[in-house]
Amino acid sequence: MNLAHLHLLLNHFPIIGTIVALGLFIVSFIGKNDDLKRSSLIIFAAIALLTLPAFFSGIGAQRAVRKDPLVSTAVIDRHEGAAMLALFFMLITGALALIELWKRRRIVTEKPWSGNLLAILLFSLITAGLMARVGTTGGDIRHPEIWSVKDVTQETGLSALVHIFEPTPSKFTDLMLVSKYWWAFMMDLHFIGLALLIGTVGILNLRVLGFEKRLTGASLHRLMPWAMAGFGINVLTGTLAFIGMPSYYAFDAAFWLKMLAVLLLGLNAAVFYLTDAFESVERLGPGQEAPRLAKVVAGSSLFLWFAVITLGRYIQSYADTIR
Amino acid sequence: MVPPTFLRTIEDSGFSTWLRESESPFAFYFVLLFHTFGLALLVGANTVVDLRILGVAREIPLAPLKRLFRIMWLGFGINALTGVLLIIAYPTKALTNPVFYMKLTLIGFAVWIITLLKDRVFNDPKLNEKAMMARGATLAKWSIFLWIGAITAGRLLAYTYKYLTYPC
Repeated sequence: MNLAHLHLLLNHFPIIGTIVALGLFIVSFIGKNDDLKRSSLIIFAAIALLTLPAFFSGIGAQRAVRKDPLVSTAVIDRHEGAAMLALFFMLITGALALIELWKRRRIVTEKPWSGNLLAILLFSLITAGLMARVGTTGGDIRHPEIWSVKDVTQETGLSALVHIFEPTPSKFTDLMLVSKYWWAFMMDLHFIGLALLIGTVGILNLRVLGFEKRLTGASLHRLMPWAMAGFGINVLTGTLAFIGMPSYYAFDAAFWLKMLAVLLLGLNAAVFYLTDAFESVERLGPGQEAPRLAKVVAGSSLFLWFAVITLGRYIQSYADTIR
Repeated sequence: MVPPTFLRTIEDSGFSTWLRESESPFAFYFVLLFHTFGLALLVGANTVVDLRILGVAREIPLAPLKRLFRIMWLGFGINALTGVLLIIAYPTKALTNPVFYMKLTLIGFAVWIITLLKDRVFNDPKLNEKAMMARGATLAKWSIFLWIGAITAGRLLAYTYKYLTYPC
């Protein structure tokens, strides 16, 4: 399997996943079903995470078709620009979904409407539309037989309007490299995000594993919005860095293993919140020992976050390790 | 101005050359990795204490957070050691850059704040939580500010050096 295969496998998730989650989200209002609403929010967050490797693997697919005389660079650029815009809307939708899930972690019934729910509806609607466009423009790359006009890059109507807001990939890349101080600033934020994330997640994990038992699980869990803020900073600065040097990261084995570790952390978080591990940590009082499942989740979390740091540190020395 | 020659002496040593030029993943990048681990432990643990003192997650009892100071010192120890190794690998690069001295100064103050937080806030048994928060608030703000500064200066070292190695 190469990056082109990975791209063709992953690129279906953001399109179909957003539509499925949006459908469930809307039905949850009609049916006044809070469980369904939670499920749709979880799917939004999961799909946002999966959209990252789908986006990052695109450059590999591009390299695979680049030499084909039937493939036009303009059509690929249009697809990539569409993907960039859709990615940022997807990330915002995912972040809003996580905020809503945080609010709903204890209370069973919430207000039927809130500003945040409205924002999720709005952003996920736009995301679904943009993702459909990413799919369409992506399909055009390899399938000229479905083109409705002679030159698909000449757009009219709504497509032309959306296209105005889509970045030109090479210009976006140049913008990220405009100054070494802008790059240094992004990397600086990436390290600050790292410290914030590891500090807050680390103390909760350590307590679950038995460190300083006077601390209670529920109180330390209150730090999680700060951990998510650190994660958000790092997803954003990491994505911008990728856009600045796409082929540096995309053909790097350490980078892809780091992405795998991040996805596994998403899975680990899902296991924590969707099993009784979460309740057992919330009830973890002074001096008490956490049950085995919670310890396994906490241990995996610590291990994977340090793996993420390790793999990130080795990106520089593993550049060009993927053909 | 020519950099002092002792920098070249360090750079020409076998250990420095090995750290800098070895293809082994356990040379330069390994040291850099542990420098990052140390940062995560030291600044991560300190940030949790700072945030709690400033009123974040008030449900967390303050006194038991004293245990986090051990993690901070562990991180500091790792970074003092790996920091020296990084200087041995690139002495000219580090020691001819004013930003490097700024970084050390910021770290010096940040570590001083850690000792003050421990002595004045955590080691005073007379204080209740409210008094601990009141006494620690200014220190916690400075701590966050100084660590952001130290990390920023550290990052800038990769972008602002005048010489990577000793000029021949």
